[in-house]
Amino acid sequence: MSKASSYGRKNLVISILFTALVFFLSIKLDPYNQGQLSVALMFFIGILSIVLLTGASGQISLGQGALMAVGGFAAALGILNLGLSIWLAIALAVFAALLAGLLLGIAAARLSGPYLAGTTLVIALAIPSLATRFESVFGGDVGLTIDFGNPPAWLTSLMGEVGYEQWQLLATLPFATLALFFTSNILNSRTGRSWRALRDNEVAASLAGMKISETKIFVFVISSGFAGLAGVLYGLRGIVGPSVYPISLSLLLLTGAVLGGIRSILGALIGALLVVFLPDLVEWASASFSPSEQIANYLPAMISSLLLILTVVLNPGGIAHGLHHKKRHH
Amino acid sequence: MNKRNTLSPLTRRGMIAFVAGVAVSTMAITSLPATAASDPGVSATEIVLGMQLPQSGAASPGYNKVDDAMRGYFDYVNSKGGIYGRKVRLVVKDDQYKAGLTVSSASSLINKDKVFAFIGSVGTQTHISVIGDINRRGIPDLFVNSGYSGFYTDPKTYPTTFGGLGTYVVESKIVGKYLKDTYPTKKIGILYQTDDFGRNALAGFTTAGLTFEAKKTAVNFIAGTQGSLGLASQLTALKANGVEIVIIAAVASATAIAVSTAAQLGYKPEKWVVTSVGSDATTFQTILGSKGVTPAVSAGLLSGIISASHAPSPGEATDEYVVAFKKINDDFNKGPDKRWDNNVLQGMNIAYMATSALFGAGKNLTRKGLVSYIENNGSKIASAALSPLGYSRTTHEAFTSFWIGAYDGATVLKPIGGTRVLYTTDSGTGPVTVSNYVRPALPVDAIAKGA
Repeated sequence: MSKASSYGRKNLVISILFTALVFFLSIKLDPYNQGQLSVALMFFIGILSIVLLTGASGQISLGQGALMAVGGFAAALGILNLGLSIWLAIALAVFAALLAGLLLGIAAARLSGPYLAGTTLVIALAIPSLATRFESVFGGDVGLTIDFGNPPAWLTSLMGEVGYEQWQLLATLPFATLALFFTSNILNSRTGRSWRALRDNEVAASLAGMKISETKIFVFVISSGFAGLAGVLYGLRGIVGPSVYPISLSLLLLTGAVLGGIRSILGALIGALLVVFLPDLVEWASASFSPSEQIANYLPAMISSLLLILTVVLNPGGIAHGLHHKKRHH
Repeated sequence: MNKRNTLSPLTRRGMIAFVAGVAVSTMAITSLPATAASDPGVSATEIVLGMQLPQSGAASPGYNKVDDAMRGYFDYVNSKGGIYGRKVRLVVKDDQYKAGLTVSSASSLINKDKVFAFIGSVGTQTHISVIGDINRRGIPDLFVNSGYSGFYTDPKTYPTTFGGLGTYVVESKIVGKYLKDTYPTKKIGILYQTDDFGRNALAGFTTAGLTFEAKKTAVNFIAGTQGSLGLASQLTALKANGVEIVIIAAVASATAIAVSTAAQLGYKPEKWVVTSVGSDATTFQTILGSKGVTPAVSAGLLSGIISASHAPSPGEATDEYVVAFKKINDDFNKGPDKRWDNNVLQGMNIAYMATSALFGAGKNLTRKGLVSYIENNGSKIASAALSPLGYSRTTHEAFTSFWIGAYDGATVLKPIGGTRVLYTTDSGTGPVTVSNYVRPALPVDAIAKGA
């Protein structure tokens, strides 16, 4: 048996295991945690876009939230203006994000390190505010209301009563599984190895015959597709608007990526679960000494910041290491 | 290659350990006892109500007092034995006036805190992101602190949502007619925020017969940006176009910034006209105070500003509701800022109305029963307002009447001409007429126990 097909089978088994586990959780958890888990899966897809871009190919983006917004708005416009079903709208969202990624990638191919980080940060700030500039199309600062709708009849006839949160989780699950399967396969492929070569030493990769710019653009496009997918799913919770995709969302995803491990798929999953469930854990842990509203509101952010610092100091495999590594070879 | 630099897509052992860990913790979570089968949030001893509002952020000043006032009134009711023996518990979530946070915190209120009903949520653009979800779940969405008519005029779309303010259309039609009749030759302009609140108000003034020209006599700004960007360019446009009377349809923090910015620009329109939700005197003075403006100067800026209200002015020292609510506020409000003002009065009144409705719905409290009671007994629900409540099966609008006043030098809104005249109209194109509604007397213990 070849090594590639062995990897493929392992990835398939893991993806099936993952699906079965989340499906089991969708039945066992209460609606609140079903909703939280579905957000964690959306963030998992979003963080995978960072794993591909930063973890695998060494390019830094602080603007994944903007690409999520592209996906969200494309889907909302498709649903509201063209009457698309959510499934077609999701496909449209991914397509729109791929296009946006192509444009961004063309610019990004010329930049690296802090310059790339700065550019993507500006994009994260600029794209959501376009919605307020073109209010009649994008709904201004209120945004556009879309949602997952009611669970389809075939599902309720199959499973009995399906709650809104359970439906949201079940609708998100196939996309998370696809993202997991696709990422684990591509990272084990020739393409994935070429991305790593690019990350570890751009000059060596170039000397080995790799087309650096084309590879960079390609990674950006794939990563943007993931971000767009995460964005439309996140928007389908109820609304697509500038305040749904603020700059803090991009940074939250990055926090999840670093906390979990920016170069690992399992790390992306752990990071997503951590950023979503941390506030609940903190609330649960701090319930006994009931802090005042002022403190309680800021406690989760403080703890995740602390964790972030500890991760970067104790586990040098994060962004700081990536930057250092790049600098050393330039 | 350095091991640290290798990419570890997925390790079988890691994933299996992860799966096992999650499965075990799920078993632990799901083995907890289930709750009772009746409507969530109501038990023999408690009614849990949920509320969303900006407790922090640019739009929070003033409105962040409403929840503490409501909780103060409910604590007072609880101290008197509660509602049929049930204590009311209010769970509040800060959404910072950001729709993304409103969605998340609504999920938390519904699924984690298991609220029986939403009450008094503040903000049009934030509430719009959750109103559909709250309604499809059949959760009562009581007395929303938004005057956006789109929430209330079609109960088929939002069957469980009831207003907590008069609609912006009703108020703007009434004030618009007054301006048109009183100042027929003056050039009237408007500054509004670009959301359904601002647009709804603009529609009301236009229906009343006022005309505006975009970017010349009608200028707008993005809600929430007033603090960081200021409103200089908008006011400069109004000044350049010779606007003599400026209407402001915006949140309280924007009103204060607009009036003070105009003063800095040397722009002195003959009259400022401010919609009721943006004209609270204490908020106005607090915001300007934080920018170094003394109370005497801010009182001077406020003096003469025209506004409208459905309620008595908080400064009316002899109004029996004002006296009673003020006392309850002193004794029971535990919020960080409980200074008596419009926001506190509004919060107290929302809680007073909710208490009346919860008593009216009876001992066997259900979500359906409560919605049905309010729909069928709109006129019986007690309120401190000078306006009747409009709740019926065809509309869920709250206050249908307003009186017009101007702020005096002591920051009290006083009826123009000395005598209070109540005007009424609908959220459509109906005429503005004088109302002769008389508010019922306050119950002895300031708790309306339903009809």
